[in-house]
Amino acid sequence: MPIVSVLAALLAGAVLILISGSNPIRGYAALLRGAFGSPYNITETLVIAVPLTLAGISVAVAFRTGLFNIGAQGQLLVGALAAGWTGAQFPELPGILLLPLTLVSAVLAGGAWGAIAGWLKAARGVNEVITTIMQNYTVVFVMHWLLQNGPMTAPNAAGTPASSPIGAGAILPIIIPNEIVPLSRLHAGVVLAIAAVVVFWFLMWRTSLGYELRAVGLGARAAAQAGIDPRRRMVLVMFIAGGFAGLAGMIQVSGLFHRVFDGFSAGFGFDAIAVALLGKNSPVGITLAAVLFAAFARGGTIMQADAGVSSHLVEVVEATVLLVIAAEAIVRALAVRRGTPAEALA
Amino acid sequence: MELLIGAGVIAATLRLATPIAFAALGGVITERSGVTNIALEGCMLFGAFFGILAADKTGSAPLAVLIGLLAGTVLAAVHAVASVTWRADQIVTGMALNILALGVTSYLNYEIYGSGVPSGVPLLPALNLDFLAGVPFVGGVIGHQNVLVWLALVLVIVLQLYMFRTVAGLRLRAVGEHPRAADTVGIDVRRTRYWAVLASGGLAALGGVYLTVADTGSFTDGLTNGRGFIGLAAMIFGRWTPVGALVASLIFGYGDALSVSLQGVSIGDLRIPVQLLSTIPYLLTILAVAGFVGRSRPPAADGVPYESEGH
Repeated sequence: MPIVSVLAALLAGAVLILISGSNPIRGYAALLRGAFGSPYNITETLVIAVPLTLAGISVAVAFRTGLFNIGAQGQLLVGALAAGWTGAQFPELPGILLLPLTLVSAVLAGGAWGAIAGWLKAARGVNEVITTIMQNYTVVFVMHWLLQNGPMTAPNAAGTPASSPIGAGAILPIIIPNEIVPLSRLHAGVVLAIAAVVVFWFLMWRTSLGYELRAVGLGARAAAQAGIDPRRRMVLVMFIAGGFAGLAGMIQVSGLFHRVFDGFSAGFGFDAIAVALLGKNSPVGITLAAVLFAAFARGGTIMQADAGVSSHLVEVVEATVLLVIAAEAIVRALAVRRGTPAEALA
Repeated sequence: MELLIGAGVIAATLRLATPIAFAALGGVITERSGVTNIALEGCMLFGAFFGILAADKTGSAPLAVLIGLLAGTVLAAVHAVASVTWRADQIVTGMALNILALGVTSYLNYEIYGSGVPSGVPLLPALNLDFLAGVPFVGGVIGHQNVLVWLALVLVIVLQLYMFRTVAGLRLRAVGEHPRAADTVGIDVRRTRYWAVLASGGLAALGGVYLTVADTGSFTDGLTNGRGFIGLAAMIFGRWTPVGALVASLIFGYGDALSVSLQGVSIGDLRIPVQLLSTIPYLLTILAVAGFVGRSRPPAADGVPYESEGH
């Protein structure tokens, strides 16, 4: 079914390309080439897939517990800011200390920021969708302040406002040698992302906490009957979700930019929602969906350059994927009412 | 003082509050009927783009308003079909439509205008109340506001009366509070919700039209920049009433206006970080929803799909 939704979306995209007078086959060929056409392009796709995977997990953890985390974007930025601050604050520390410190600070900061939404939901019954959207905007403005004329602003930074560079010890190394893929930016964050996928799987399906979280997601009232306090789990799961997103932010800082820019990594947190939904909130599904969406993003820029088709086509395709997925739930609901077992369609 | 409550700042408040108020009014209508529509952001973007596209191609500003409004309504129609007829997850559909709107408008903007922007399009005029010119403050605040600003204010009053003083408004609220009961007394829940969602898209789109065809006269990708979401916040802060939504929109607009007027101002040695002032509306919203600043309660059946028993 996910494959059907992607194909349907690509078809819709092709129609849009046709309407605007370009050749869809040429456009998609350029997109494919841009995403996977050379070793360098593949590594560039993976560079985008790494934060998408982590942000996707952030959304999925919450989904599995019955919460909608639209705040991955803000949590990612908070994590990036924490990483940028820690990394720049102790530049003389060796990597063996500074890298874990940077990572932990980002995870804790992202987690704490996420936990606010969980706590407001648990204690005051506030819809987490509203809270996280508001939190996203709050972060953007705090970030403007921090980087434009606040405590994190780098002295005499030209152009885009940014923080001071992080210490060498906080940098995630490039893992593909220059002799093999020249100019590759693929960094050790990809290892962290794979580790996070495993942690996500282990946490949700191999620990009692994961069992409880999924129980709350399947039915909070039933979970409460079984002695699980859904409200405490809500705070905890939003902390975990924020932590994964914060890690995505840290990886962008430590692996890619080595400082925090204003307007940094815009949109990952929203693409992450599509990634989680397309990946059906499962570890493997999220990873594949993240690679697919990263390929769209990377291929889209090449498509615009080579075939003259706007890279924004990618957003249209992405949104169509989401809509078809929503429609899939409908198809299933209809089938259930007609008496077909839901499993038969899955 | 001039920077805080001068006529210039208050006039700017009114201007900046207008698009938010349109979205908030849309939010009030759809949520009062029991459908959450976070696609208002996308509807506004549709209104902004197709409005200015129409102004550019037809050369008529009133026609631009109509087409922009229609574009937002069409996007909302997708949401209505998905959430009312198919009972899909309203948040997922809404998010998808927001991404779709961003993609479609940015895509068409690139294909039609390339890196340029439409320019020299006919704009909606301001209402020049020359007889107020001599009145201090008032003349400066409302003497030269755009017709859409006035339309927003009029709509607030009309919708407030509609919602709380007419039978149709009572039915709308009944559908959002207790659809089963409404159904039992013969109100068509599905049709009521359809109209409410369509109206919300059209209203949000008017906010978008205001941004392009009245305010800036140009379009950039993602130009609405969250104003639709802020409209939803204003709706909550205003406790799901049109007048409350307007008041909340004005607070948000004032925050916006201040962050412009206080740029570079300092109190003694302390320079005011204007960016932090801009966070106030969002924090206020969180506090309001959490009940720390007056509890606000959504309609009881908000966001819950309704299935009639007879089908």
